[in-house]
Amino acid sequence: MERFLDVAIAGLLLGGLYALIAMGMSLQYGVARVFNIAHGEFIMLGAMTTWTLYTVFNISPLVAVVICGPLAFVLGFIIHRTMFRKLQSLSANQGVFESNSMLASFGLMFVIQNIAFLAWGPEIRTYNYLMETVSIGGALFGARRLVTLGFAIAIGVIFYIFLARTRIGKAIRAAGQDPSTAGLMGVNINWVLALCFGLGAAMAGIAGVLISMSYPDSANMGQEYLTVAIIVVVLGGLGSIPGSFIGGFLLGIIGSIVSFYEPGLNMAAYYAIFVILLLVRPRGIMGR
Amino acid sequence: MLEVSNISTFYGQIQVLWDICFKISDGEILALIGANGAGKTTLLNTISGVLRPNSGTITFLGQRIDGLAPHAIVELGISHIPEGRKLFSDMSVQENLEMGAYIDRAWKHRRETLEKVFEFFPRLKERAGQLARTLSGGEQQMLAMGRGLMSRPKLCIIDEPSNGLAPKLVQEVFQIIKSLREQGITILLIEQNVRQTLEVADRACVLENGRMALEGCCEDLLKSDHVRKAYLGL
Repeated sequence: MERFLDVAIAGLLLGGLYALIAMGMSLQYGVARVFNIAHGEFIMLGAMTTWTLYTVFNISPLVAVVICGPLAFVLGFIIHRTMFRKLQSLSANQGVFESNSMLASFGLMFVIQNIAFLAWGPEIRTYNYLMETVSIGGALFGARRLVTLGFAIAIGVIFYIFLARTRIGKAIRAAGQDPSTAGLMGVNINWVLALCFGLGAAMAGIAGVLISMSYPDSANMGQEYLTVAIIVVVLGGLGSIPGSFIGGFLLGIIGSIVSFYEPGLNMAAYYAIFVILLLVRPRGIMGR
Repeated sequence: MLEVSNISTFYGQIQVLWDICFKISDGEILALIGANGAGKTTLLNTISGVLRPNSGTITFLGQRIDGLAPHAIVELGISHIPEGRKLFSDMSVQENLEMGAYIDRAWKHRRETLEKVFEFFPRLKERAGQLARTLSGGEQQMLAMGRGLMSRPKLCIIDEPSNGLAPKLVQEVFQIIKSLREQGITILLIEQNVRQTLEVADRACVLENGRMALEGCCEDLLKSDHVRKAYLGL
């Protein structure tokens, strides 16, 4: 029983991160229609920036959240306003844009990764922060992991309320369903698409900050998280933000159960779930 | 109020509209009739900014609007109620209406406007919390029209509002269009029901193969041999 609790809590802790990563990607694909292969690189930028801020400038990773989040947002917003906006006007239709934008994001991934190698080198970076442990039901967990979970849930809930209740949130949902009609309602559609891309990047950046508190970081860490994000996004239902939130926790719990028996098999289990899902229920949990 | 001069619009390489000219004056109902593929919807989309004309000018209340983005045109007071309703099907009735009031000018007054729209369409009030896709066809059309009114427009562009509705509901739609005019809203209407449209409208334009074929007051058009043969089946 105690072990069960351990595994379940560890799963939630991991799942919170996955949910955050996947929600960002889901928003970028669901509204801005960019299947962003560079998503993992925004996570990497968040993590490596946090490492620099902490080890060089002695700025706490909790403060880094409010630095990296907005920075990633601005970067994402500008990239959408320039590159993806241009691609959109050059694409004959949405289908063409979706494939072109995915290819462009592949390129973006290499560009960001190479800049990161120049800036931070190939070394694996770690730092120690919030090393205290907290006991939950007899099991010990790192306080930093609980902080991570708290942030992931808080961002998920705040974002949900933002989408459900605010004027801009409703415009985002409307634009996700029918961008052209949202434009007829007076929504400045290009601005909303860039906003969504920026918000997705901000979630990746914040996830990167949180990841760096518990896991080692390097300039090529992005790919692993990209893979997780893609699996969760498909698991939750392409473009469904609640689906990504639930899917993230689900995958985290599965990962935690698998690593309890055989720590090396995590990624293999994720891929197995991915393949089974594509065969059995390709539209995912919340997809239509 | 609205003046369209020498508009030509292309879809890619294909020209759909040729030198379209017409005017709508304050408070009138202008009907646009024509066969499928004549370019009616293209013309509406050109006015509301979804498509850009390749040449010609569109002036609304003295201001050039050709080349403006759709959201800027709504802001000036033109509301386009699109063909096929185009509701946000996964949002509630109330949220759809709120989206109609998205622009700053209308957002401030959205509560009062919502009350007015509910007075106009009591069914929508009953169904305010329901998802738009669970409404019947008639209710969906009411919602599309209600949403179009939420931006407090001066000119309402309505594309095929009676499409797919039962005859009784078609009557209701025409009644609503008449009462909109009584509220001081100018209307540009596209309809398949040519006879009823000509009875409701003040003037009509006939579009054939992307060109303006006829224009005149509805009484004259109802007498015209060409209109009687081609559109009324007489």
